[in-house]
Amino acid sequence: MSVRRVAVLLKRELLQGPKSFIFLWSVVLPIVMSLVLSLVFGTLFSDKPRLGIFDEDASGLVNLARESPSMSTREYGAVNDLEEAVRIGAVDFGIVLPEDFDSLVAEGQHVEVTAYVWGESLAKHRIVAQVTLQDLVRELSGQEAPVDVSINTLGDEVSIPWSDRLLPLLVLMAVFVGGMFLPATSLVTEKQKRTLEALTVTPTTLHEVFLAKGILGFSISLTMGLIILALNQAFGAQPGLLALMLALGAVMAAELGLILGSFAKDMSSLFAVWKSGGILLFGPAIIYLFPEIPQWIGQIFPTYYLVEPVVRISQQGGGWSDIAAHVFVLVGLDVILVAIVALALRRMRRVIA
Amino acid sequence: MNPRGIRALVSKDFTLFFRNRFFALVTSLALIVYVMLYFVMPGSVDETLEIGLYAPGWSPVAGDVQQQGLEIHVAESLEELEDGVADHDYVAGIVLAADLPDELVSGQKPRIDLYFASDTPEEAKEAVSSLIRELIYAQTGQPLVVDFSTQVLPGPDMAGKQIPPRDRMRPLFAVLLIVFETYGLATLITEEIEHRTIQALLVTPVSIKDLFAAKGFTGITLAFGQGALFMVLVGGLNQQPVIVILALLLAALLVTGIGFLIASLARDMMSVLAWGVLALVILVIPSMGTLFPGVITEWVKVIPSYYVVDTVDRVASYGSGWVDIWQNLLILLAFSVAFLLIGMVALRRRFQ
Repeated sequence: MSVRRVAVLLKRELLQGPKSFIFLWSVVLPIVMSLVLSLVFGTLFSDKPRLGIFDEDASGLVNLARESPSMSTREYGAVNDLEEAVRIGAVDFGIVLPEDFDSLVAEGQHVEVTAYVWGESLAKHRIVAQVTLQDLVRELSGQEAPVDVSINTLGDEVSIPWSDRLLPLLVLMAVFVGGMFLPATSLVTEKQKRTLEALTVTPTTLHEVFLAKGILGFSISLTMGLIILALNQAFGAQPGLLALMLALGAVMAAELGLILGSFAKDMSSLFAVWKSGGILLFGPAIIYLFPEIPQWIGQIFPTYYLVEPVVRISQQGGGWSDIAAHVFVLVGLDVILVAIVALALRRMRRVIA
Repeated sequence: MNPRGIRALVSKDFTLFFRNRFFALVTSLALIVYVMLYFVMPGSVDETLEIGLYAPGWSPVAGDVQQQGLEIHVAESLEELEDGVADHDYVAGIVLAADLPDELVSGQKPRIDLYFASDTPEEAKEAVSSLIRELIYAQTGQPLVVDFSTQVLPGPDMAGKQIPPRDRMRPLFAVLLIVFETYGLATLITEEIEHRTIQALLVTPVSIKDLFAAKGFTGITLAFGQGALFMVLVGGLNQQPVIVILALLLAALLVTGIGFLIASLARDMMSVLAWGVLALVILVIPSMGTLFPGVITEWVKVIPSYYVVDTVDRVASYGSGWVDIWQNLLILLAFSVAFLLIGMVALRRRFQ
């Protein structure tokens, strides 16, 4: 094998790559998804009831509601807007605060507040919204609670916010979209345009072609993984270990890309695999999103052994002892995939010959 | 029209499709994976706030608090209460001391202990604290001066019969399976153009119309077949099957039109992919409205797939009928026919 020829091939891939749609897709998609999922879905998945308020005056209840951790509060400028927001489910509970609400409450006069409830709002959300509002009204009127509530916590588990639950999905997307697709599409294109045959009549070997494409996939995969972790401020206390995990994941992505590229007849087959296999790759991330699903199911998927250490390091402050077993499994999977890549290479050599 | 020619072309496309065992296998696998994913997802909605209560000598409280959305579990001892909280049997444990009523009557300000698992979110802790304070206000005869006069919008009230997450995902999965076939059809046509077999076909008795009919039939069958089979397997046809099937058929017609349009624009397979991703992203947006109600504005109605998603969702999940849905089907039909015509015109120009 000639290192120089591999470098020349890699340079060609790097020069040609950015012109292709797949290259842009693999770079842009994870970043866009990261921003969209983190900014939008991070708040959408919140389990808090959403309260909408239309205030005819300038009630202090609005600010109290905004500061309450029990609900997400949004203010509307017109009753119609509030009604529409409840109707479409943008808020669970909507209230119309009448004029002089604060002074009426302070004087202890009876006030009737119109409230709208979204038909699909969960019963527990309705209760939480209502008792929280009642509590806030009492606070507004200066009423002193007849009891002191003391909160005691049991156990040492920590709750996982949605923004954290999304991290595995983002990492897998960053590592696998480019890492897998670049080598795969590059190989399929070469097969379709019959440039592989042309290459192999030169001193270049198929081995070198595979290696160059694999290195490209690995580099893009690792780079995108690091960028996504940086964007999500998820490097934790062990950035070196995280980089190691991403590197092992990038190896897996590149190997899968080479295998896919050598077996797929054309782009349709390639995307048909993505259509079904994509879910298998992202399985652990989807399971991680929903703690109600038994988490052991995730262990069936090979990418679990990348996702779990990343979560343990970046979100739980884990170290080598917490992830060692996963690292060994991931290395084992990478080695098995190397063997499959070798078989794919032999098969392709036979086909070309 | 040449029925024999059309039959031959359709048969050729299907033979090519299934001869490629790899392609056929992964297409079936996609369906299986979507169905599996559906069944793995939660099949019910937990909309109850479960609370443990240890109130020695003050048991009537449990009955006072019990209401829809709130479930009180009475613990026999403090240890049982703590275990229940730690095991997440309930979100919070409340201890009401035996002398609490006396202390309240005597005007003292007693302390009430609430127990939470350490991973309980802050909002739940605050909500249960509010709940317990309200309970005590009620016990001490201090009603709130504010009455909430509630009205459920848009009705019916779904409390107690919420749509499980997996059923909310059903339209998304069906649309994904159907929309992915835009790639299939566009690829089929682009390959013919790339390999110049189109020109070869057109010098036979097969006309452009026959070609459109054949490709259209292949595209509709592949897209509709997968979508309909998925809905059968996940119970999406249990209510108003004719409407759901009609909606899926119109969706298949729509993606066939879009497939034609993509094939007319694409130079090669990579262009098919580029345009296909754009189409996929746009067509999937309306599904987000069923997954996350309230996040999508009225603008979503300009996307044709909205009428598929909305129809499937309303019929399969809410039991809507023809009266509620006919307008959707009509608009979907108009979109589908329009896209099919535009696609055919664009493709015809490409062939010429």
